[in-house]
Amino acid sequence: MTLRKTAVLVLALVLVLASLLMTGCTNAATTKVKVGVLYISPVDDGGWSQAHKRGIDAAVAEIGAAKVELMELQSINDTDTTATNAAIDQLVSAGCQIIFATSFNYMNAVAAKAKQYPNVKFEHCSGYLTDANMDNYFGQIEQPRYLSGIVAGMKTASGKIGYVAAFPLPEVIRGINAFTLGVLSVNPSAKVYVRWTNTWYGPDVEKEAAVALLNEGCDVLSQHQDSPAALKAAEEKNAFGIGYDNPMGSAAPKAYLTAPIWNWGAYYAKKIKAVMDKTWKVETYWGGMKEGMVALDALSALAPSGAQAKIDAVTVDLKAQGNDYIFKGPLKDQTGAVKVEAGKSMTRDEQMSMSWFVEGVVGEIPSGS
Amino acid sequence: METGFAVMAALFLASAVRISVPLLVGTLGETVTERAGHLNLGVEGMMMLGASAGFLVAVRTDSVLLALLAAILGSGAGALLYAVLTVTFRANQVVTGLALTIFGTGVANTLGKTVVGENPPPAVQAFFALKPLHADLSGIRDVPVLGPVAGFVDAAFLQHNVYVYGAVALALLLAWFLRRTRAGLHLRAIGENPAAADASGIRVIAGKYAAILAGGMMCGLAGLYMPLVHIQTWTDNITGGRGWIVVALVIFVRWDPLKATLGALLFGALAIVGFLLQAYPQLSGSILFSQYVIDMYPYLMTLLALVLANAGRKKGWQGPGALSVPYFREER
Amino acid sequence: MIRIVRKEDTVGLRAWAVRAGAILAALAASVLLVLLMGYDPIRTFGAMLQGAFGTEYGRINTIIMAVALAMTALAVSVAFSMKFWNIGAEGQILMGAFAATAAARVLPEGTPPVLLVLACLLAGLAGGAAWALVPGLFRIYLGTNETLFTLMMNYIAIKFVVLLRCLAWKDPAANGFPVIAEIPAGAFLPPVLGVHAGWILAVLLAVATYYFLRSTKLGYEIRVVGESERTARYAGMDVRRVVVTGVLVSGAMAGLTGAVKLMGVAHTLSETVAGGDGFTAIIIAWLANLSAPGIVVASVLFAALKQGTLAMEIVGSPPSLSDVIKGLILMAALSTEFFLRYRIAVERRDAHATAVHPPAGPGQAEGGPSAEAGAPAEEGG
Repeated sequence: MTLRKTAVLVLALVLVLASLLMTGCTNAATTKVKVGVLYISPVDDGGWSQAHKRGIDAAVAEIGAAKVELMELQSINDTDTTATNAAIDQLVSAGCQIIFATSFNYMNAVAAKAKQYPNVKFEHCSGYLTDANMDNYFGQIEQPRYLSGIVAGMKTASGKIGYVAAFPLPEVIRGINAFTLGVLSVNPSAKVYVRWTNTWYGPDVEKEAAVALLNEGCDVLSQHQDSPAALKAAEEKNAFGIGYDNPMGSAAPKAYLTAPIWNWGAYYAKKIKAVMDKTWKVETYWGGMKEGMVALDALSALAPSGAQAKIDAVTVDLKAQGNDYIFKGPLKDQTGAVKVEAGKSMTRDEQMSMSWFVEGVVGEIPSGS
Repeated sequence: METGFAVMAALFLASAVRISVPLLVGTLGETVTERAGHLNLGVEGMMMLGASAGFLVAVRTDSVLLALLAAILGSGAGALLYAVLTVTFRANQVVTGLALTIFGTGVANTLGKTVVGENPPPAVQAFFALKPLHADLSGIRDVPVLGPVAGFVDAAFLQHNVYVYGAVALALLLAWFLRRTRAGLHLRAIGENPAAADASGIRVIAGKYAAILAGGMMCGLAGLYMPLVHIQTWTDNITGGRGWIVVALVIFVRWDPLKATLGALLFGALAIVGFLLQAYPQLSGSILFSQYVIDMYPYLMTLLALVLANAGRKKGWQGPGALSVPYFREER
Repeated sequence: MIRIVRKEDTVGLRAWAVRAGAILAALAASVLLVLLMGYDPIRTFGAMLQGAFGTEYGRINTIIMAVALAMTALAVSVAFSMKFWNIGAEGQILMGAFAATAAARVLPEGTPPVLLVLACLLAGLAGGAAWALVPGLFRIYLGTNETLFTLMMNYIAIKFVVLLRCLAWKDPAANGFPVIAEIPAGAFLPPVLGVHAGWILAVLLAVATYYFLRSTKLGYEIRVVGESERTARYAGMDVRRVVVTGVLVSGAMAGLTGAVKLMGVAHTLSETVAGGDGFTAIIIAWLANLSAPGIVVASVLFAALKQGTLAMEIVGSPPSLSDVIKGLILMAALSTEFFLRYRIAVERRDAHATAVHPPAGPGQAEGGPSAEAGAPAEEGG
């Protein structure tokens, strides 16, 4: 017993010393800019968080690893306010000068913490609130989605394309519509079938939704999901698939066509540099292909011939006109009613609150959305 | 492509079969454990341990056998920890099980980090792409009645991989073991009344260890199915709470391996029926068929089974008599 | 032959010292593990301590988490004291939070904050109590196994709150996102000394539970029922009444925790309001031997571990490491309970150790979830 007690005492002493050491360490390093990041899932999830991680790494590489101290917290559930608050407090306590919160539901917690810590810059992804020290940033992923629709429309033999979708939100609905318009631009008789999974990231659920679509006869799948599960399901059933977030070719090489991908790096570098130069200004950022925020991954060898030429041509228009190119009239909804008249384009606000499917989509937006 | 009702139904059943495998195998494992009188709430943790150890070895060796062995050893280690604590050290079963889930999940997620992004290697993939029972129906396709029926059965039940049939075989084997063998009888006796079993010369402690270890190893095999066959890559918490559904399922099927096959299929079907219903908005618009409500059904059904077992005048059997009652010979 | 022999229980300070030693031994094992994994243990554990206690906001978050854990563990300790294995605290927390949200939604705008807060707290009490009552009644009248019943009730509660969040109560102003609108600011628990006022409730609850179980008639009855229902009946107690009351108290306390978590921190109902606390609390209550002061200490330890994990992650260690450490601590602590009560003796085969009749006490490894006094071993035998 005495031996144990001694061991215990020694250990306790070591731990206390260690904590003192830590305090010393953190005070010593002051020249680096301290950057905090909140991720909703592991940074190696293959999807959303990995795309953000890729962006952060690119930004750090651009600025120079010696000048940035990175503090990252993964798998912080964005519906768990206690966890979100604790995570932000921890990052601020560790001295972060700028914090990227990379999921929508962090928004209210971030807004409250931005008020509490006026000297820290907060960057919130995909929301709509801003403050004196809180940005809101997102990208026009609809543009590469439209392009991926062209690939899918040219590839399908059955004329039935499946779309595994997360939640019936404007962001997702906008993506489905852009994709469908891309499909219809090359294959006017094709249909896009939608399944909701009610989760952003759930490989097992995503796979089952994909299988349901394949069972219905879809031969090309697209997705607004953060894992390559739908691609893997397509591969198993000898169908084809379009990924999301990151290049996903390695997950299902026998099915992969391409993917709309995020390139957050340029924006992250810009904002971190702004903190270093003390030139940070609040903004609402919504970058497209022109700004390099979003892109279409290189087409795989399975992509239909002629797709590359078509995409190259449309890319020029997308870079010139942005989302206006996609959401320009005449646009009809599923009932055939004209929603956007010829010669007009949807305003940004209309795009942001989009809650109807264009003609060509087969699926329901659950009531109450 | 033909998408008539029969084809859709067959394909749906096939999906339900595939997704029910981890539920079935886990249920078999927990049934063995509970039959020995031990409620092990560490199912999720043991599934995770088996999944991570097995997938790690699969990726490194490209051997199905070694992967299965690693899963068995990984989850077996967790089960051994539980057995030592609850059988020998007499710790509370509920608390120990919860601790095992936390520990197993933590270890598994740490191990899994080393194989994130890896696909199952070629030989493993090829092995699980085999459909050993798939029938060649070209000869009878046009025969009336027989043709469509055979086609339905083939599409729903005969186009699966070895893991699926292995699970069903394990269920049959276990049912035979529990009902027809001496060791099975002894196991049931230990779970019903360890004091009486002890008095009649059955080695209670050894029996409990054996059952807990065997049960845990099956849970590991249940977990391995997820990264190796179903999702085909590693993600954090890959078993996704299936360990808890297993705990419910064991009660729902009343500790019976044969009923477990049907129970697992039912729970599996409930988990995915929402995707089918989305094709029929007039149905899925109704609250009863909303996936959110359907998600409650397994647990409600389990409660119903639990209550029905002892409702009415004549009380039915409600599971192993000494379930989660510790047994100490010295304190008899 | 090696035999396990019952010995005089190690009690009091000495027992607590052994428990603390076991936890520190587990931490030492964790240090080894961290070394093996190739991380710097001083940096890792230093960060953990620093994160949990080293800064003001670290301390505040540690206390916030400890408040919820302690309240829940106190709740389950009441049920455990009568050997009613309530592992449904997770669901009871959620239903408490649900009822509090419902109260906040029903009450008219402009209700004075004092009334609003009181109404929400009371609703939380009622919600948790009602959710616990269901398995309680089934246990009493049908003899249904409450361990399994309360476990299932957790998942029903979780799915129910998901249903509310995604469908029934989805906030139309949230741009389509499946979230429930925040409760009105008047229903927020105000901060007292930097932490929401729930900590005062937690302290009161700890003191109240301590005296309730030790010094009240009902508390006494609960403990007697816990020792043996047969004894309780023999002593003329109405066991059904005692169990129902105990279950209601336990559920109400868990429900109150849910209301406090909602009004103090979350401000919006979601299935993460409970966040696994209902399960962690079971472990805490057990490790603390169902003693209120022990529960408070263990809750702070677990909260510090949770909060410290974030700081550990910031310096680069894997997030799953904390689960491993937690698991090691639990396993060590669980085996400690054995060594406090038994010793391993090496003796000759014919020498029979006299079985010491175990003194009753909740922390002792006697009786299981479905243990109805005297009945278990007879059934189906």
